[in-house]
Amino acid sequence: MRELELYFGPQHVGMVGNFGIILNVEGDTVVKARSNPGYLHRGFEKLMEYRSYIQNFPLVCRINVMDPDPNEMLYAMAVEDLAGLEVPPRGHYIRSIVLEMSRISSHLFWIWGFGNLLGFDTIGQWAMGDRDYFLDLFEELCGGRVYHIYIWPGGVRRDLPPGFADRLCAACDHLEEKISDYDDLFFNNRIFAERTQGVAPLTREQAISLGITGTNLRATGAGYDVRKDEPYAAYSEFKFDVPVMEDGDSYSRAIVIRLELEQSISIIRQAIAQLPDGPAWNKVPNPFKWNINPGETYVKIESSRGEEGVYMVSDGSNKPYRVYFRTPSYPTGMLVLERLLQGASVSDVGHIMMSLNIAAPEIDR
Amino acid sequence: MREQDIKQMVEANFQGSTARVQKKGRIIVTLVKESAPGALIFFKANGFDHLSAISCTDWLKEDEFELVYHLWSYTERIHAMIKTRIPRSSPVAISSIPVFEHAQTYEREIHEMFGVNFEGNPRLIPMFLENWQGPPPMRKDFNTREHVKNAFGMEDNLR
Amino acid sequence: MDREEIGKIIKSPSKWGQKYSLWAVYFCTGCGIIEIPPVLTSRWDAERFGVMPMATPRQGNMFLITGYVSMKTLGAIIRTYDQMLDPKYVVGFGSCPINGGMYWDSYNTIKELDKYIPVDGWIAGCMPRPEAIFIAVTKLWMMIDNDAATGYKRYKENYQYYERNQREVLPHLPKFAKPEHAQIG
Repeated sequence: MRELELYFGPQHVGMVGNFGIILNVEGDTVVKARSNPGYLHRGFEKLMEYRSYIQNFPLVCRINVMDPDPNEMLYAMAVEDLAGLEVPPRGHYIRSIVLEMSRISSHLFWIWGFGNLLGFDTIGQWAMGDRDYFLDLFEELCGGRVYHIYIWPGGVRRDLPPGFADRLCAACDHLEEKISDYDDLFFNNRIFAERTQGVAPLTREQAISLGITGTNLRATGAGYDVRKDEPYAAYSEFKFDVPVMEDGDSYSRAIVIRLELEQSISIIRQAIAQLPDGPAWNKVPNPFKWNINPGETYVKIESSRGEEGVYMVSDGSNKPYRVYFRTPSYPTGMLVLERLLQGASVSDVGHIMMSLNIAAPEIDR
Repeated sequence: MREQDIKQMVEANFQGSTARVQKKGRIIVTLVKESAPGALIFFKANGFDHLSAISCTDWLKEDEFELVYHLWSYTERIHAMIKTRIPRSSPVAISSIPVFEHAQTYEREIHEMFGVNFEGNPRLIPMFLENWQGPPPMRKDFNTREHVKNAFGMEDNLR
Repeated sequence: MDREEIGKIIKSPSKWGQKYSLWAVYFCTGCGIIEIPPVLTSRWDAERFGVMPMATPRQGNMFLITGYVSMKTLGAIIRTYDQMLDPKYVVGFGSCPINGGMYWDSYNTIKELDKYIPVDGWIAGCMPRPEAIFIAVTKLWMMIDNDAATGYKRYKENYQYYERNQREVLPHLPKFAKPEHAQIG
């Protein structure tokens, strides 16, 4: 049979984000797949070396547009580590709340993309509608729906507005009611199960040797989560489970993401109930004249896609010397995707890519 | 404390190496260039089976590139940063694909952005940039603002 | 109703048809894409305005360039724009297509989109709200009524200018060079 080269390229109705995959297909089977990144490369790491520490904050949240708060958190943690700054307890709790809200909105966005690629359009309409309640809360908190620039070294930019906690609990209650509707329509649907079970399986050893972290690793049976391994912000104060599935196929990855929604809601409720009093941020030196001593640090957190880390080197001036972002979609979108697509059917390419929860801007930076 | 055990093992087994415990859960190991492949095998055998990243820093004044291998041990919860320096004038390193499979992508990016040649990596072709004619862009002697002025003619856009 | 009264209500049937069914080509060019699914789904509901996503550029007539444009993306945008049929309208979404925006000193993003393809309107913001897209769509209707949305005519009349700018940044694009593909894989 003749081999054709197809471009599941950037301009494609099934591509969420600006990413390309070059497929060599024979009939209905993919013989070889190559990832084609670089459509979103802006050279963040170079741009950050030209701006002072405080000027980098608006840049950093744009590295991953679907889940922007973990990037701000990482950069703030790295700067605090190098400069020796402390965050007050209330700041830690508010940071945890914002990070979990960002995780929920990223997972709801994922439900829209994943549902569309399997042919379920209604679940996407519901998920994007419910996600908008959280974006309204973000707009009330920090002025912007998508890019917040809210977490900065020393704490958060401003305290919670009055009544915010009640509105946040109302949004969480609404989402919890809707989750059972999502299950009836999509997650317990026989068509979804039959299309995704057994597709693109990974074993635990393969996953660790290929650098996979986050929900994809937890779908293979390894229950590792940075919030439990190296707790940051206020996560050591909360009780929550880390959902784990055994099979490592497309179905397990999707179910792990679905189970994390409930855990995030539970963390938000605990944080609001235990919120301590006090200031939400500590004063930092004048940011325009802020020189940080030479040093290096590596900090990591659990974003919605996996382990995200920053390696920062400072040299005593007011600009960072080197900032390196380790993003979770980087190993997943390049080598793992190419391996998993080999031998798959053409109709499965889209949802394999989406079940790995690849965010294209994270690969290119 | 487990970090101290690792520090002692490293300093005993690898000549010319120094290991420093930065804080709980962080070790920084500095090695000579030739010890890097052996050190990666040693760390992987001792429970550090997750390669988080490989990053590169351009120390222009010292005329060296510094490669940092970031390894994490799930069982001990320790993050190790293994650093080696290679000369800037002839930047060549040995690929770590035999030890960690997905090092291929990190080395491909460092090759494109810094110009470091990894011997043994079969796929050192451009990843992000298409038809790029200039020097490797992440090097410190490449001024991105000058490049923008020349390539896009944006004289009045610069602050 | 006689012919005169109908003529007062519907100015021109073809303009009426184009205005109220602007089908946007589905291409997620940059980070502005995060506000497009909310616009297309139930809360903001762009279908009230006639705006729907269209999978293929050959049947779409509005091109929404959402955000910054890197060099590789510019090649894909030019190929997509060339495939669309007349009349076609381009709207730049966000401040990055206007003058480079946040990435004004990046070596891999273009700074002014208007030099490479003709743009009919801009939406400022970083990130603009979904309502801003609807304001832009209604302004585009008025421009279509007044024959002011003539980007596609400008492209054909001044093709030398656009082609020169495109060739300057993308000399390897297949329509200029011999068909040797960029090295990928």
